[in-house]
Amino acid sequence: MATIESGSDLVGHRLSAAERRDWRFLALFLGALLVLLAYFAPMFPYRIIQATTRFSKGTTIVAHFPVLIYRQHFIQARHPLKEELRDVQVRVAPVGHAGSGWSWLLALWEYPSYIPRLFSYLLVLLWPVLGALGALLFVGQAWFGAKGLPERWIPLTIYLTGLGPLALVLAWFHQFDFSTRLLALAQGSLQPRVGFWLALVGTLVMAFAALALRRETRRAVGNWWILVFVIGVSTWLLVRFKPYPFLEIWDFIYDGILVTLRLVITSFGFILLVSLLGGLGRISRSRLIYGIASLYVEIIRGIPLLVQLLFIWFALPQVFDSFGKLLIALSPALEKVGQWWIDLRLSPFTAAVLGLTICYGAYGSEIFRAGISSIHHGQMEAARSLGMTYFQAMRHIILPQAIRVILPPVGNEFVALLKDSSLVSVLAVSDLTRRGREYMARTFLSFDTWIMVALCYLVLTLFSSRAVEFIEAKTKFEH
Amino acid sequence: MGATEDSYIIQVKDLRKTFHHGRVVALDGISLNVPKGQVTVIIGPSGSGKSTLLRCINYLEEPDSGTVIVDGMVLSEVENINEVRAEIGMVFQQFNLFPHLSVLDNIVLAQRVVRKRSRQEAVEIALDLLKKVGIPEKADAYPGQLSGGQQQRVAIARALAMQPKIMLFDEPTSALDPEMIKEVLDVMLELAREGMTMVVVSHEMGFARNAADRIIFMDAGKIVEDTTPEQLFEAPKEQRTREFLSKILH
Ligand SMILES: Nc1ncnc2c1ncn2[C@@H]1O[C@H](COP(=O)(O)OP(=O)(O)OP(=O)(O)O)[C@@H](O)[C@H]1O
Ligand SMILES: [Mg+2]
Repeated sequence: MATIESGSDLVGHRLSAAERRDWRFLALFLGALLVLLAYFAPMFPYRIIQATTRFSKGTTIVAHFPVLIYRQHFIQARHPLKEELRDVQVRVAPVGHAGSGWSWLLALWEYPSYIPRLFSYLLVLLWPVLGALGALLFVGQAWFGAKGLPERWIPLTIYLTGLGPLALVLAWFHQFDFSTRLLALAQGSLQPRVGFWLALVGTLVMAFAALALRRETRRAVGNWWILVFVIGVSTWLLVRFKPYPFLEIWDFIYDGILVTLRLVITSFGFILLVSLLGGLGRISRSRLIYGIASLYVEIIRGIPLLVQLLFIWFALPQVFDSFGKLLIALSPALEKVGQWWIDLRLSPFTAAVLGLTICYGAYGSEIFRAGISSIHHGQMEAARSLGMTYFQAMRHIILPQAIRVILPPVGNEFVALLKDSSLVSVLAVSDLTRRGREYMARTFLSFDTWIMVALCYLVLTLFSSRAVEFIEAKTKFEH
Repeated sequence: MGATEDSYIIQVKDLRKTFHHGRVVALDGISLNVPKGQVTVIIGPSGSGKSTLLRCINYLEEPDSGTVIVDGMVLSEVENINEVRAEIGMVFQQFNLFPHLSVLDNIVLAQRVVRKRSRQEAVEIALDLLKKVGIPEKADAYPGQLSGGQQQRVAIARALAMQPKIMLFDEPTSALDPEMIKEVLDVMLELAREGMTMVVVSHEMGFARNAADRIIFMDAGKIVEDTTPEQLFEAPKEQRTREFLSKILH
């Protein structure tokens, strides 16, 4: 009789000899060894210990190790002092132990006060080692571990080893920036050597082998977080390695990102409130409340957001004005109130929040209405039959269940709001889009500006969509 | 009957209820007095207004005319209908448990928000009641993980937790598989034995025979016959009752 092992798939089963000789395990193992060994060979034998940048009117900027090349480049390209760049001189010094990977890591330890600035250096050199150690641990578990192949670690191993080559290429960029004159000045001493290339090959082998293991797991290996990550990293690389103009654009639009976020989050809070009230209004038994809510929804949904924003910004003050004058004309006793209305001015930010709230509140009301009415009426009856008031029943019974239905479309609304918030740039709100326009007006760098602005929006929207998905998954319950 | 006006815990007078602007007459002049501790079973064909009558007794449905007096309170005049409803437990055909709450929280929630009991006290009461309905081990389960019979017993416990004076049952077993009907009826029998005032819409004739003090046959929004179970099963007076009984008893 055959005995059935519990969990006879890969999770709980011991590998056979043939499986242990699987090329993927061997490759993972050898790749890891190669990386660890390659770090003993020369990698970058020299480092720049000092760079001196001189400008035409005599300004001199001296930077010491670690010389962050992109900063140097930035200083030169911008010539902020309206001076011409005269020359750059660098001093290089050998790294100990023939500049192997390990000695680099040790050399970095010698400058603890620089740790924040060294962090990326440290990370890019340490990462392949972490990947290799992780891979060794994984292979060891699979070969000798009592529980067989740790199937649930496969995705993590793939991520860990997949980032290895990326980290090494970054490490190279730290040393070797094509567009800078520093390279020429350093006369090739910054070129990567045999250790670097071996480590790169090792990490590539590891990444490839780990990726080949993905069929052994039922867990999703790729997910959309990776896209967020890749786009985020690309933006960062763009800023870092092409600082002119991207770092400059980033510095310029950075506060615009904050304004956009502040605007969107503030508005979203109000939108949820208005949507809840609107949604309850749309299912109200009172004809008056139902009528008001329906009118609001129908009218607002029929007018483009841009027109609403323009109305609030340009036409509403006039409405306030007329209203104030009317009050004063009605009775002298209302003079003060009337004057208050005449003097009332909305700040651009307030107007923007108001506009977005009114518009998105209308769409949100429909989402809330649909969500609430999707809950079986028996739930409300059961709650009322126990003596709960309408609002208690809403709060404890209906809304917690409706949230599940409401959350996905509300999450989409949030992402849409993030994008549509760019329209408020017509109201003199210095949001991301407006800052982009201002920068472009100054420099006429239209392509670079808008690619940067687009990337910023993309990172924000992709991140929020993922976050919404995550929250959705968390709020599911047994049915 | 020898009872005075006040000894009736439910008094229904001339109740009329229509739907669709009067086009559908659900209740057509119902009068009914229920003394304390009585178990009343209501039977009748589909659409005869049984559910509507129960729903009018706790004002889930507001009648067009007529009065409902529960425990001395005239429902059309009370200030806070929720206080009255807390005294009237109701059990539905579809259970209507709250799917997002555990069994325990289903029973605890209304005690907390309506009766304002402390969590500890409410939990104690809930656990006692779960023991009483025979599923103490399911306290932490969610309704979706229970069988129909277990869900209905939780629903009964949930209603009982409010310590109501009256229990209304609207076809509590007709959504259940045959093998689960008994476990629910047993709980109801036990309740009847303890002296709870119960109004039960049900076609479970075994229950009517064993537990009912009184059987009401309704048709087309009217009470056709109002008598004891023995009388009804042995010698129904009305032709319509006889026809209906022959259908459900085959
Ligand atoms: N909310 C409602 N809206 C419109 N008509 C209704 C409503 N509730 C009940 N009715 C109508 O009132 C009449 C009585 O319905 P009721 O549900 O009280 O009957 P019932 O005796 O409980 O029937 P069943 O045995 O099918 O449950 C039916 O004709 C029904 O269609
Ligand atoms: Mg019914």
